[in-house]
Order: sequence, then structure tokens, then C-alpha cells
Amino acid sequence: MGISLSLDDKVHHVTILRRHPHLVLVIDGEEHEITRLPGSGDGRGIMSIGGHEVAFARTTLGDRQIVRLGGRTFDVSLVDPFSKGGAAGGAQNVLKAPMPGSVIAVHRQPGDKVVRGEPLITIESMKLQTALPAPRDGVVSTVLRTEGETFEKEEVIATLEPETEDA
Amino acid sequence: MTTPLFRKILVANRGEIACRVMRTLAEMDIASVAIHHRVEARARHVQMADEAVEITGETPVAAHLDIEQIVAAARACGADAIHPGYGFLSENARFAEAVAAAGITFIGPDAATISLMGDKISARNFAEVNGVAVAPSVMPTDDLDVFVARAKSIGFPLLIKAAAGGGGKGMSIVRSAGDLAEAARIAASEAQRYFGDGRVYAETYVERPRHIEVQVLGDGEGGAIHLFERECSVQRRFQKIIEEAPAARLEPGLREAICQSAVRLASAAKYRNAGTVEYILGADGRFFFLEMNTRLQVEHPVTEMITGLDLVRAQIELAAGKGLSLAQSDVRANGHAIECRICAEDPDRDFLPETGQVQYLGVPEEAWLRFESALDQAQKVTADFDPMLAKLVIHGKDRQEAVDRSIGALDDLALLGIKTNIDYLARVLDHGAFRAGELHTGFVSEHGGALASPEIPAAMLPQVLAAAALGFHEFQELALGTPQPYAAIGGWRN
Repeated sequence: MGISLSLDDKVHHVTILRRHPHLVLVIDGEEHEITRLPGSGDGRGIMSIGGHEVAFARTTLGDRQIVRLGGRTFDVSLVDPFSKGGAAGGAQNVLKAPMPGSVIAVHRQPGDKVVRGEPLITIESMKLQTALPAPRDGVVSTVLRTEGETFEKEEVIATLEPETEDA
Repeated sequence: MTTPLFRKILVANRGEIACRVMRTLAEMDIASVAIHHRVEARARHVQMADEAVEITGETPVAAHLDIEQIVAAARACGADAIHPGYGFLSENARFAEAVAAAGITFIGPDAATISLMGDKISARNFAEVNGVAVAPSVMPTDDLDVFVARAKSIGFPLLIKAAAGGGGKGMSIVRSAGDLAEAARIAASEAQRYFGDGRVYAETYVERPRHIEVQVLGDGEGGAIHLFERECSVQRRFQKIIEEAPAARLEPGLREAICQSAVRLASAAKYRNAGTVEYILGADGRFFFLEMNTRLQVEHPVTEMITGLDLVRAQIELAAGKGLSLAQSDVRANGHAIECRICAEDPDRDFLPETGQVQYLGVPEEAWLRFESALDQAQKVTADFDPMLAKLVIHGKDRQEAVDRSIGALDDLALLGIKTNIDYLARVLDHGAFRAGELHTGFVSEHGGALASPEIPAAMLPQVLAAAALGFHEFQELALGTPQPYAAIGGWRN
């Protein structure tokens, strides 16, 4: 029994091999013996894995675990067991707002060809202006927010035409 | 016990700086009054204050900028002084004037000094006539074409700035004559939008400049001393993220010249209050006046750490007319201090601000560490206010110890639930060029590649994944062998 976790767009598998005398997890095909289990819940914890004492802090955000370990923070999410686990094919077709804010300028209109990285829309959030770049080469399909309009975080503000050839 | 200098002080600010000011007020036996918008009724600064007054406004920021309302609140609660903190109304001459007109002491300079220093052009002229070096420049005219023609005459590269500006708004570097007209037009329109004043000016741009600033105290009668310099060269989006005192690798003679220049300016302005004179320092040792901030600075704790002085207390004493409590020769610097600004932002995405909620906050505790924040567990971080969440301030016996301690403290700091620049700050401090003190304001972009999030070390990956997996309640139950038929786990089987 195990779960699939996604970290930095890569999927990893963690399964329980046995529990006695110690918990042994198989992580991406390799066995790791856990001789000291951390407590449950949010906050700081210590665990012994593969003979190493590891201190960390952790919090649960829905299907995600935010883990701070070794001076770095990791955002680990549970992969829906029913999904294939790879990056969603449609992700590159949409331009999402990274922050709530408003549109300052729309640089490309539906039908325009764009190259990856080219500014599509300039937005303003917390008094900072940022140009949102095209996620890939393509043709603008729709622009859902125009100058002066506001949007929430993660809202789709423009889309590209689906790629014609198979990726 | 002497009688307090003031009975009650309204702190016209919020966040970490309001908390910082209130700490000193408590030590001085002065009652504190917080102001807050409806959305921040349970904020830390409100809880810390002896009294709290709700202010209203279309947005929280608008409420904190409402001069009439804040002065009325101070009168209504019987405050005999107002401390403005930094940002918001701290450098607003009209506010200082309104406070004084209400018979309340403004903890800062008088309105005329704020106006003088608040306008970059008048400040520059004042500095120049008082023997403080300024960079060659072209003053604005109403006619953009005339401005462009004159700017070309002083040579490139040029820095275009807004006359009324600050915080990098309306600012750009121009390297050739062909780009000048467009850059000036954009700067003027940005300046108009942000400051309601479209005037821009141009000055010689110093390549690889260092940002050095001097903390001064002035008694309002021409008496002034300095509390040494700070270096604030590590910036992103023209805003400081790491500050230190003293500056790294600064020749004693040059340090003395810069500090004396700042004292000369404060003295000539008959400056009253704590203030900061900012300079740019070129690789050739030439330094030019940038501006004077007539308020407490975000990074004031590094100066407090090395001098052992309380700058808020000094501000209050100066505002009460007590004068300078110490002479220049009494001011001693001890060791080295570094401040890291912890911001809700994503360094891997051009430092774009982030929002979210603090799920877990774990702060290391050491005698040599100050964690200045108004954060609480479960605190929501919205787009309403500035993305700075906290400041981590560290002291060490020398720069190396301060750097090492800062990296260790950043590693130990757990602020989970929002993306922050904590890991990034540690990478900056640990970078060879930072350790060597090879600083300039383009540090962040120059070393951008080396400062990007590195790959996860192979040995760390299973540790992270195990910690994450065991964080899921259902997985932990399975790992602990909770007697439960696996079939019931449903989606957890994979």
C-alpha cells in the first residue's frame, strides 16, 4: 500500500514494505528504514531515516504537505491515484494569474501569434507591475480580462489555441 | 522615577513597526494607542496596544492614509504625541502639520523639513549648497523634449527618477541616447500615476553602485551626531532585502567622510529626529547624496544591534525637546549586524508577491537574534498590504559570525503556508561574493543563476518524501499499523 507524491513536477512513490521491527518505506524503489517516527500533525518533528536523525517542520494544506527540512521548504502534493500523475496536458494552454490584481495592458489579441516568453498581458499586484509571458509558442485564443479589470489568484486570464500537432 | 516624556502616544501604523514602537513605549511607561481597519481588528499591534481605535476607509491602506481621521482619533483618545513609524504618513508634511495644529507632538521633524527632504530636487539642491556631494544631473522642465536634450549632454549611462518618488517607482537606467525619450516618457507617466507628480530628473548613473546610508540623530537646533553607516546594497526590484551594519570592506577614512557628510546635512537642516542620509558609493570611492529619509528606517535594528541604542526611545526624547542624550564620542560600534527581510514572494518567479495563510510559525530564539514581525499563527497574508512579513536581525562579533548565524537562523526559521524568500536569503548570504563583501545594487541580478533554487540533493529527497507522506493522517495510520482493513482505505491504495 502506498501513495504517489508530486514534488517539483516529478512524481514519486512511497509504499509501506513492513512495520516490524521498524517501519520500512520503499521510496522510488529504494528501502528506507525509519527507526524513529515523527509525531503527527503540524509543527516541528524529528525522525530517524536510514540511520540519520532528521529535524523538520511540516504543515498540511489540504492535499499538500509543506515540509521544511535542511534549510529548504518543499511543497509536496498528493497525486490523485486515479490520474496519470504527469503534468496536465492543458496546463500550457492557459495563462493564470499568479496573484490577485488588475490588468494594466493587453499586448496580444485573439488570433495573434506569440512566441514563448513574450509578454502577453501586464498586470499589477501590490503596486508591482509584472508582464505575464506566453507559456509556449502558439496563437492567442481568448483574452478574458481587459485593461482595468480585476481578477483573483489562479484565475485564467487568457488562453492559447490548442497545439495542432501532438506534443 | 522621572515623569514620562509623554503620557500617551498613538502609533499611526500597523504591522511589525507598530509592534516595535509599542515595545519601547511600554518600557518608557507611555500608554500606546493602535489604529486599525476593520480587516485587521485582531492584528498583533492591536492586541499589544493599551487602547485601539478603528479607522475606516474604502481599503485598509486608504484608512491608514486618512490624515483627518487619524488626527481626530488621537485627539479623541487624549494622545499627546503621534509616532508615524515608516511608510504610510511618516513622510507626509501635511500630516505633520495637521498633528502640530491639533496641539499634538509629531515624533519626527517639522513639516518644512519633511517637505524639503521629501522632494528629491529640493533635497539635492540643499545638500549641494551645504557641501554634500551630489551626482551630476539634469533638472526637470515642463517640456519633455527640452529635458531629453539636456539629459543627453551629461552623458550615459543615466538614471531617470521621479522627483516625488521612492521605492523604485518611475525609475530606469538609460544607456543610450536612442532610449532616452521613451524612458523619460514612461518614467513621467509612472510618476504621475504613483505620486500625482509627473516631474522626472536624470542623473549620472554610477555603475555597480553600493547603497550606503548613515543613521543620524538631530536635536532640531543644529546639533547632530551619526550612529555609523548601514549597507543596503542587496536589493530586488529596487527594494532592499538584506542590510548590514557596519558596511563591509569600507576604508576607515571613507567611512568617516561619509558619516561626517551626513552629520553636516542634518546639522544644516536643523534636523530634529532620527533620520537616514542615503548615498551611492562607486567603486572609485566617490559617493553621492541620494536622499534623506526623515523617519525611522525599516532596517534601523542593525544600528541598534551594533550601538546598543534604542532609536525609538531617541526619537521620543528628541521630539520631547530633551536634546541629544549622548555625544559623538560616546557612540561605539560593537560587532556586526545583519537584517534579512522576510517577504511573501517567489524568488523563482521574479519575486512576485504571494498570498496565503501562515499555517505554522516556528522562530528560533537566541540572545543575538531579533525577530520583528506582527505575524501570528493562522494569519492571512493578503494583497492589502506590503509583502514584507518579518525581519530577522542577527548580531555577531564580526561579519563572518553574523553571516553564519544568519544562515543558521534562516534555516531554523519555519514559516509555513505561504511561499517566502527565506531559502533565497540564505543562499544570498552563503554566496561567495556576499561573504567576500563584493556588494552592489545589481548583486541579485548579477548572481541570479547561482541564487536560483538548486536541485534537491539526492540524500535529502527520501527524507522529504517520508516526512511528507507521514504528514498525511491516513498514511500515518497505515504506517503505524492501525488495525483496519485496507479495503476501507479506498483512494489511498495506489
